[in-house]
Amino acid sequence: MYTLMLVDDDPAIREIFSIFLKKTGFQVHVVPGGKECLDFLKTTVPDLILLDIMMEPMDGWETLNAIRNSPATRSIPVIMLSGKEPAPDELRQYGKWIEDYIMKPVDFKTLAGSLTEIIEYHRNMHMEVKRLKIEGFDPAVIDEYCNLRQTIVVSKKLVHRFRDTWRVNDDGIRMQEERLRQLRVTLGLPVSEQPGDSQVGKNAF
Amino acid sequence: MKKAAIFIVEDEAIVAEDIRQMINTLGYSVTGIARSGEVAIDKVRETRPDLILMDIHLAGPMDGIEAARQIHSLFGIPVIYMTAHADDELLERAKVTEPYGYILKPYNERELHSVIEMAHYKHGMEQRLQERERTIRALANAIPDAMMLLDRQKQVIAINETMAQRFGRNADQVTGFPLAEFNKDGSLDTVLRHLDAVIEYGRKVQFEQQDRGRWYEIALYPILDTDRSLARIVIQYHDITDHKEFEAQLSKEGISRIEHNMEQFQILNDQIRNPLQAIMGYIDLDCARFRPKIGEQIKKIDNIIARLDHGWVESEKVRSFLLRHYRPDRENMTDGNKHPSEGGQT
Repeated sequence: MYTLMLVDDDPAIREIFSIFLKKTGFQVHVVPGGKECLDFLKTTVPDLILLDIMMEPMDGWETLNAIRNSPATRSIPVIMLSGKEPAPDELRQYGKWIEDYIMKPVDFKTLAGSLTEIIEYHRNMHMEVKRLKIEGFDPAVIDEYCNLRQTIVVSKKLVHRFRDTWRVNDDGIRMQEERLRQLRVTLGLPVSEQPGDSQVGKNAF
Repeated sequence: MKKAAIFIVEDEAIVAEDIRQMINTLGYSVTGIARSGEVAIDKVRETRPDLILMDIHLAGPMDGIEAARQIHSLFGIPVIYMTAHADDELLERAKVTEPYGYILKPYNERELHSVIEMAHYKHGMEQRLQERERTIRALANAIPDAMMLLDRQKQVIAINETMAQRFGRNADQVTGFPLAEFNKDGSLDTVLRHLDAVIEYGRKVQFEQQDRGRWYEIALYPILDTDRSLARIVIQYHDITDHKEFEAQLSKEGISRIEHNMEQFQILNDQIRNPLQAIMGYIDLDCARFRPKIGEQIKKIDNIIARLDHGWVESEKVRSFLLRHYRPDRENMTDGNKHPSEGGQT
């Protein structure tokens, strides 16, 4: 059973997400703010964090910053959850740190499916990295491979979702994909594998 | 022109009396008679006549020419010399004091009349000219703008004090000199360049220039002669620093207002979507029958908020435009070309 943490200042959101995610089979911890989230992370490390953005006094981006800056929590996948459109600045600054940016309201069934997908993608990735390290590949190359793969997955998701707000350089992504292919060859991985592309956020009412 | 009030300086009492009678007959008034230069100066100071009839040969240490010189410089009153014999040396000395006329003794009424009228008229004209020049100068100096008038040869014909101060001079030190002489620091380069164009094409030129920390709108106006050829050029410096600062302030305030509005948009949209999310959740839990219909309504509300989102995106475009143009110190803040993941590549 995967453990999720939901950070949101709206009690109704905490209640309803809690009910559904539990029904879907997750273990769920809810906290009302960024500060509480960081406190909670001192004792429990969830498999994934759902993080609201507009909270007082510590907002979601600040919280994300703190999570990424602590070695204990650095690799926990985080999905941003918000009722507002992301600003281009925000995507540019934090894009590489998040799994996805989901606009409320979201359909729970779709959400639950993609949460599992993201968690498992990370687990697999984690195991793959472990194996590559044991096989003696250059840790720098492995790091670059992980980061690049992650970046491409998230970029594609965000670009697709926020085409209005975020003018993107498709050439940039193509160059990154080319580089990723080279890295896969270097690391002895099958070239064909496409990074997972979850469908969360396409509101299905 | 009103009849002149005349003062007589003549050391011979009989002659003086004769002149007085003649003058009175001609309809002028006599404000006084003096027999020496020294007395004349004192009396003139008191009575302020319009004109002085001065005998060149006076008894006493001060002769008529010296007395005339002092009166002219002290009071600006015109002097007509009277003399029995005019030798060249004397006339030469007299000329230096800028007399308004000579009259040779003996003279008759008609001669006296015409020389007085001529002097009085000439002096009146000169005063009006001086008055006009003072008025123009006062006007030019009352204007806060720096202004000057040039001829086709780019020589300064007239200049107000504000403009002269720009050159670190007073108006008299600039008038009559070529403008290029005051371009030691190169601050007139642009003006001189445009000046050639104005002279060649006879069209007004206007531009903005920053100079010693202030902004000026500089205009060069051609002044055409009656035959439509270019006669002169007016150059005007209008200080627009306050205007520029106000403009910058305004756009800065505009940016803050937009930023404030955008923040409000974001907060409101977030606040509306939270209850929508909750409603969606609750109907999923406990409202199987109307779930699709309520879902439709939620969708409608969400579409409305999406339009607000669009407004936010538009505001963002306006904001980044303003930032690019008015706050160069925060450049590239919203430049959309950089990809968030490009950092991972290097």
